[in-house]
Amino acid sequence: MATVVSASDQSRFIVPIGPQHPALKEPGHFEFTVDGEIITGASARLGYVHRGIEKGAESMNWTQCLYLLERICGICSHIHSIAYCQGLEKLADIEISPKARAMRTLVAELERIHSHMLWWGVAAHEGGFDTLFMYTWRDREIVMDLLETISGNRVNYSVNVIGGVRLDLSPEQVTKIVSGMKKLEERTKHYLEIVTNDSSFLARTRGIGVMTREEAQRLGAVGPTARASNVCRDVRVDAPYAGYHEYPVKIVTDTAGDLKARFVVRIKELFESYRIITNVAQNMPEGELKARRVPRKIPAGNVISRVEAPRGELFYYIESGGGEGPERIKVRTPTLPNWGSVLTMAAGLRLADVPMLLVGIDPCFSCNDRLIRLNPDGKQQTLTWQQLRDRGIEYYR
Amino acid sequence: MTQPATANYLALAEEYLQPYIDQLTRPELFRLDVWVTSARFRDAVQTLFDHQWGYLCAITGVDRPFIAVDPETPAQEDQIEVLYHFAEGEGVVTIHVLLPYSRLSIPSLCDLIPSASMYERELMEMLGVDCVGTPSREKLVLPDEWPDGVYPLRKSFKGLNPVNMEEVS
Repeated sequence: MATVVSASDQSRFIVPIGPQHPALKEPGHFEFTVDGEIITGASARLGYVHRGIEKGAESMNWTQCLYLLERICGICSHIHSIAYCQGLEKLADIEISPKARAMRTLVAELERIHSHMLWWGVAAHEGGFDTLFMYTWRDREIVMDLLETISGNRVNYSVNVIGGVRLDLSPEQVTKIVSGMKKLEERTKHYLEIVTNDSSFLARTRGIGVMTREEAQRLGAVGPTARASNVCRDVRVDAPYAGYHEYPVKIVTDTAGDLKARFVVRIKELFESYRIITNVAQNMPEGELKARRVPRKIPAGNVISRVEAPRGELFYYIESGGGEGPERIKVRTPTLPNWGSVLTMAAGLRLADVPMLLVGIDPCFSCNDRLIRLNPDGKQQTLTWQQLRDRGIEYYR
Repeated sequence: MTQPATANYLALAEEYLQPYIDQLTRPELFRLDVWVTSARFRDAVQTLFDHQWGYLCAITGVDRPFIAVDPETPAQEDQIEVLYHFAEGEGVVTIHVLLPYSRLSIPSLCDLIPSASMYERELMEMLGVDCVGTPSREKLVLPDEWPDGVYPLRKSFKGLNPVNMEEVS
């Protein structure tokens, strides 16, 4: 697996990891320079699932963009559509109802739970604790079922429309949500116990990949990765959007800055999500779901829309030229700034710590990669299994 | 609804940036947008950095080809606008730098802000802006076989021919 860099520099060994990944279920390529077992440097190559969504958005109208942008990520789709919709609503001067704001918040927090539970399972798996992985993913089904009950979908819920939301809660759904949150809260208490007490797990996380507060700030880390290094950065608190004025969040931080802290922060954040969801579901305001009239053309101008995705701050810059579609949409997803922190922290660690380190920021490749390769003539290209196989053999000949 | 501290943050940023600004707008209550020349850009960022004002949130590149509104308007050179977004709490300061196609280069920020590397790599390969002094010029998201000099986020880009990997005109 290891390759020597050059004849003149034979002391440097580079261990390539990925894109077919031993640690992650998504494609990313990392090169770790090692001295024996110890890592001395790291670099990343992304783009294996880049789909050109920013470019694609420029050729679509405002409504089509909503569905395109929601598909940037299957895990945190709802937060992308919140960022987009609230930006657009600001440009078009549309006020959304308190009910729509509450609904957006509720689904965003459900999504955070599903994302954190998914990550928690993957982290357990990387730590060699597969029983825990199965437990967490079993429990994650509670929130997946709730999302499906509310929206009809397990992912890409399409709850948001420009000017509001398209769904309301029935009394039966409220009961289901409240009892689901109770169940999850019990389970999460148990998980917090494991992450802070289980000796084999602690051996993989405590004191590993430490990032100080200053480093986290300097490297621009966001989300739970930053908060675990005691950087109080949470868009829900700093610049409340959707319903976070009415249902405020308590920020969760930790001072240790190691992998354990990143794990603890995420799990403690789950309790906040349970509290908010229960509160919103039981105190849903009355009112319209969506604005009556949404213009087809959005006035010229630009907006910056920031929201807190499960992995950290998600940043949208939307520019309208006054037409039926955007001039430019820039999406900066939370995984991108967090890579910088991982690659820097890797130096000095053992190679065996890499999977846990990578999983510590909860990386998401859909977050990074947004490019479509289209045939210019618009024809679809389909390859048979045999053609694909021949092509592979030819390529690597 | 804006938090009271935000106005103070933005007033401070404006004070720090004052010597470098060509033009200034406040498009929203929590935003401050300033335009600086590429020559003064590094000093402008340096002053925010020295005062520990915020963190680099994102770098946005926007292609701005010249579009003649009426035939009387004299033709101008196509430009790329680079936007550096810095955030502190709720406040966002955006530093705009306009670069003509003939001088598409801007100093790198990586020595001050190492996390800028990823954003600069994206800016270089997607729009063809040269970030002078950036530590890594390797491709970040485009495929290895992507041809040199083809920048997909420019408005003129219509696609790539998969057979000969040439840009479709």
